[in-house]
Amino acid sequence: MDRVDRIELGSSMLPTPYVNCDYETVYEPCEDSFLLLDCLEDQQEYLGSRFQDALSVVCELGPGTGVVTTFMMQNGIPTSGKSVYFGVDISPWALEATRDTVRRNKCDGIFMETVQCDLTSCLKPGEVDLLVFNPPYVPAENVPEIPDDAVDRSRWLDLALLGGENGMAVTERLLQQLDTVLSRNGVAYILFCARNHPEEVAERMRNEYGWEVELVIHRKAGWEVLSVYRFSRKIM
Amino acid sequence: MKFLTTNFLKCSVKACDGSNDNFPLQYDGEKCTLQQNNDIEFNAEFLTNILDRVDWDAILTVAADLGNNSLPREKPVLGTNGDLTEDDLAVLRDLHTLLICTSIVEGQMQCKNCGHIYYIKNGIPNLLLPPHLA
Repeated sequence: MDRVDRIELGSSMLPTPYVNCDYETVYEPCEDSFLLLDCLEDQQEYLGSRFQDALSVVCELGPGTGVVTTFMMQNGIPTSGKSVYFGVDISPWALEATRDTVRRNKCDGIFMETVQCDLTSCLKPGEVDLLVFNPPYVPAENVPEIPDDAVDRSRWLDLALLGGENGMAVTERLLQQLDTVLSRNGVAYILFCARNHPEEVAERMRNEYGWEVELVIHRKAGWEVLSVYRFSRKIM
Repeated sequence: MKFLTTNFLKCSVKACDGSNDNFPLQYDGEKCTLQQNNDIEFNAEFLTNILDRVDWDAILTVAADLGNNSLPREKPVLGTNGDLTEDDLAVLRDLHTLLICTSIVEGQMQCKNCGHIYYIKNGIPNLLLPPHLA
């Protein structure tokens, strides 16, 4: 599939970016990617008013092909002409693909940077206003190690998929970084599958860490139920 | 990697998080290849918002690393009543040229706390750590 389409999956209004990547190395846009697009489309108004007054720093972790970041850039999410975008991925293939997708969709005129990094470890604290993460959420014995070089292509793809115990190993690390990386007014959208037990995660983040956590969209995709939760701090 | 990005990158080493020297990274002016690129059009409102947001001292430091010592010591203050003057626009244009149009295509930078060196290749900064530091 080199033409990505969401039409069969919902009644979305905003077009899906054009994607044509090497799916031996990067994760091909699938139901989870499309759910995120639909989620961001639904949240566009909310985000626009939340961030209307200042520059927004947007960070997508693990952008893969770059379809989600490109979608945000194309549609001015959260704000048009006031947002800068960072695509942060562990995989060099994903970063190349993200740059390529942005270019293909003629978004070069918008500030976007690709950074190779493990989650948010290289980001200055307190700077990210909008964080989006479609993590490796598939339960697996463990999270694969980072390949030594770019040669072993399929191992990079495994990194995009396999999430260790309950598929939560990587997401859990990000949740621990959330308070550090998000700006005061920052929000994060994180995708889960049912096997991640997202309701338990949400409850824990509410009770133990005082986050505001809301289920914003969910959908049955094959035998999987996917959901996106929004994390933000309690009203200041 | 566009100059503005240097305002958002710190050392990835966790042990450096307690230090004030892990940001900004120190860019090696000798080894950095710069490029000017005009893909992004000048937009005064965008630049005003960026100016509001950036850590000016870090901008000064990195600019000096890369051989530019011509920036004002204090963050420029724009006209207060909403209308930008010609002078304000000139300031914003200069910042546009530096922060948005100037990229480091190849180069390296170092944490001032732990000394770890990171590389920029083909315009992409690599802040991944080797396993023994991760």
